[in-house]
Amino acid sequence: MIVAERLVKEFRLAERKPGLLGSLSTLLTRRHRVVRAVDDVSFEIPAGTKTAYIGANGAGKSTTIKMLTGIMTPTSGRCTVAGLEPYRHRQRNARTIGVVFGQRSQLWWDLSVPDSFRILRRVYDIPEPVYRRNLDLFRELLDIDALGPTPVRQLSLGQRMRAEIAASLLHDPAVLFWDEPTIGLDMVLKDAVRHLVNRAHRELGTTVVLTSHDIADIGAICDSALVVDHGRVVHQGTLKDLLRTADHRSVVFDHRDGTAAGTVRARIEAGLPGVRATPDDGGRIRVDYPAGRYTSRQVLTFLLDHFDLADWYAPEPGLEDVLRKIYGRARVPGDTPDGAGRTPDGAA
Amino acid sequence: MTARLRRYTPFATSGLQSLLQYRSMFAMTAMTAAAGAAVTVFLWRAVYAGTPGRGPGGFTVEDITTYLLVAQILQVLHTNRVDDEVAAEVYRGDVAVMLVRPVSYPVMRFFACLPVVGANAVLVGLPVLGLFALLVPLTAPRPADLLLFTVSTALSVLLAFCVNLLTGMTGFLTTNTWGVRMVKQSVVAFFAGQLVPLALMPGPLAALAKVLPFRGMVDGPLTLLLGRYDGWTDAAGVLVQQAAWAAGLSLLCAALWRAALGRLEVLGG
Amino acid sequence: MTRTMMRYLRLAWFLGGVGLHRLAAYRMDFVLGAGAFLVRVGIQTAVVGLVFRQVPAVGGWSYHEVLFLLGFSLLPRGLDHLFTDQLWELGRKLVQRGEFYRYLVRPVDPLFSLLSERFFHPDGLGELVVGAVLVGYAGSELGLSLSPVQWVLAPVLVLCGALLHTSVKLLFASLSFWTVTSMPAMYAANQVSEFSAYPLDIYHPSLKALLTWVLPFAFTAYVPCVYLLSGGTGLLGWLPVVTAGALALALTVWRRGVNRYEMTGS
Repeated sequence: MIVAERLVKEFRLAERKPGLLGSLSTLLTRRHRVVRAVDDVSFEIPAGTKTAYIGANGAGKSTTIKMLTGIMTPTSGRCTVAGLEPYRHRQRNARTIGVVFGQRSQLWWDLSVPDSFRILRRVYDIPEPVYRRNLDLFRELLDIDALGPTPVRQLSLGQRMRAEIAASLLHDPAVLFWDEPTIGLDMVLKDAVRHLVNRAHRELGTTVVLTSHDIADIGAICDSALVVDHGRVVHQGTLKDLLRTADHRSVVFDHRDGTAAGTVRARIEAGLPGVRATPDDGGRIRVDYPAGRYTSRQVLTFLLDHFDLADWYAPEPGLEDVLRKIYGRARVPGDTPDGAGRTPDGAA
Repeated sequence: MTARLRRYTPFATSGLQSLLQYRSMFAMTAMTAAAGAAVTVFLWRAVYAGTPGRGPGGFTVEDITTYLLVAQILQVLHTNRVDDEVAAEVYRGDVAVMLVRPVSYPVMRFFACLPVVGANAVLVGLPVLGLFALLVPLTAPRPADLLLFTVSTALSVLLAFCVNLLTGMTGFLTTNTWGVRMVKQSVVAFFAGQLVPLALMPGPLAALAKVLPFRGMVDGPLTLLLGRYDGWTDAAGVLVQQAAWAAGLSLLCAALWRAALGRLEVLGG
Repeated sequence: MTRTMMRYLRLAWFLGGVGLHRLAAYRMDFVLGAGAFLVRVGIQTAVVGLVFRQVPAVGGWSYHEVLFLLGFSLLPRGLDHLFTDQLWELGRKLVQRGEFYRYLVRPVDPLFSLLSERFFHPDGLGELVVGAVLVGYAGSELGLSLSPVQWVLAPVLVLCGALLHTSVKLLFASLSFWTVTSMPAMYAANQVSEFSAYPLDIYHPSLKALLTWVLPFAFTAYVPCVYLLSGGTGLLGWLPVVTAGALALALTVWRRGVNRYEMTGS
């Protein structure tokens, strides 16, 4: 559905010097430097997937999304959405996609939300039944009616985001690009938003591309992940695969020995060098071990041999930890991360 | 006192800094001023074209040209952006943020606008004056008159600040400050004598213009510059009237600002 | 092609309705804006009146002829104002604040999409009404009687003038794609357009040339008024050429600007 081939985007930034003298000197001269925001990125997002587009600040996420939505033209390389190059066929592409940029509004600033929707209905030529159906849905889940006749510019961030999200779904787009869609929303509304997008995916097969600082959003919506760092793709696959790349596994257990927590900890760390044991308040012990050095069998055998286990479980590696690791690793020069530069096989 | 004033110098320097980031702004302000001056200058020169020597109102062609040109430059000095910035800050509610700072907002605004005035004088006023001096003959003022004009101009800048602050404060009352500012601009330009010298207005209109504070913004300084006064008492009278209006409007600003803050607190920002 | 045209016309009609609807919601704003405008034109008329207290004619134009010109100059300006006011927002902040993108993610032409946000700006109505009243008053005082050809051409002249205003505005607003904000340039160009309210004959020859061939505001009021008042065709033949040229140039700059558009920040 979405294909990027060797996508590159460079910016020229004017250099400003700080202070009063600096401003005076920029009055006379202006220097530029070139920043490569997206660096030779290739990936493919199949139709009907819900992909988290993940990266630290400045990783080139927003820039890539802007190219995929047709707002920016790549410096080199190309990308297609449903077979169209968005920046070449902006208007045709616009009918296929729904967009939310959390930081910015795309509604009619001076108009009320209902007025904006009426205009969107005409602009996208939305058939009456579809419009009615979606409006009813938004009323029920996002409480759109509560926004009333207030012009968009006077809405609070949370109210505006509800309207933005609804606006992006109004025309049943085949692809949704959501960039930070849950900014300013409370827990209940976040749930509603997740429910909405999952419903669109289930009933219409909508392809979703999502960026969010809220890890919970990603977990609740996405099935795939595309991780970029410093303008390069460092991982692409299912979210489960991504979690599997975690280099630490954990086991949490309870025991009946009555041994002091400090002793337990010392015994584990002595018996399994490189492993960290942390007792928690409830008397349980958490064991974190490097996945490459020990198999889970080795660790469990050790624990069964040395302690009288009452209960144990192995939590799934946290997405946050995995990502923190990926960002850290990609910053080491000379390290080629897995998945980078994978060549996709033609257009979707 | 100096320590208290020193607190405001950062506002002055940062005002200049943000201004200098837009270097094209000055070129464009200059063009705007030149265009504005050209309309009135050529319109009135056409009137005086057929009359050699002193024409209507006792002006020569050079006098009227100088009058209208300097009037336009004074107007540039009075465009200190206080009206739109205050209106915008009131509208966006940013004024509430200002209140938590340990400085007086109107005083801070005054210091922030000073460098704007200075930069406009040097980067806009002088080039426009030079351009017109090349195109049309002007009247050279006497040194004493030039001195009087300088003092009078300083007072006119203070007057303009007060007028603009009052205009900006209408943001507490209406969201369409654009309309208010347009009215202010037209009315001030007319009654200050920027478009038509007070001497050329019919009796009742001139009388009205003379008692309004705007007269001190353009017609006052230019009366002094062109030596159109009867002895020193007359000249001093112009300055005293300006100073009195400046003091009066400053007090009015302070009082209204207090009242507006009271309103702001009631509304909860 | 015709289907697209029809679609845009239908959209424009609909947006005009929304604009009028909004007018009712912001009645106070409208009254204030229209009032401010009346004050401005009133003062402009007063200045002309004061000028003619001194002399019977300026640059060969009588009082009522200048009033006619002043009034006529408001017609194309008002027509342009009615539909293209959102261009000011483009020059002021849309690029600077990275908000322009929203016109690129809608399935309509970006220019149409931009203008649609403030379609049918009521201030333009005020200009049209005041302009028409002034033209009517001055015309009857002058005992003006137009030939059938002049009657037919008059609306075309207003339309061409409006397109010229739009072209200049669009051109300078589009500069913001390069300079981030082009408000001062737009403001300066708008200021220059004020020249068109007075007879060009009073200006310095260089200024007259500038207004005719560089920023062709002469064609928005002066040239049409010379034709309507005296029947002299003079520069009239250039009017369609200049209008088409200005429009083509402005649209080219706009297109290149949109292509160049890069969103600020992330």
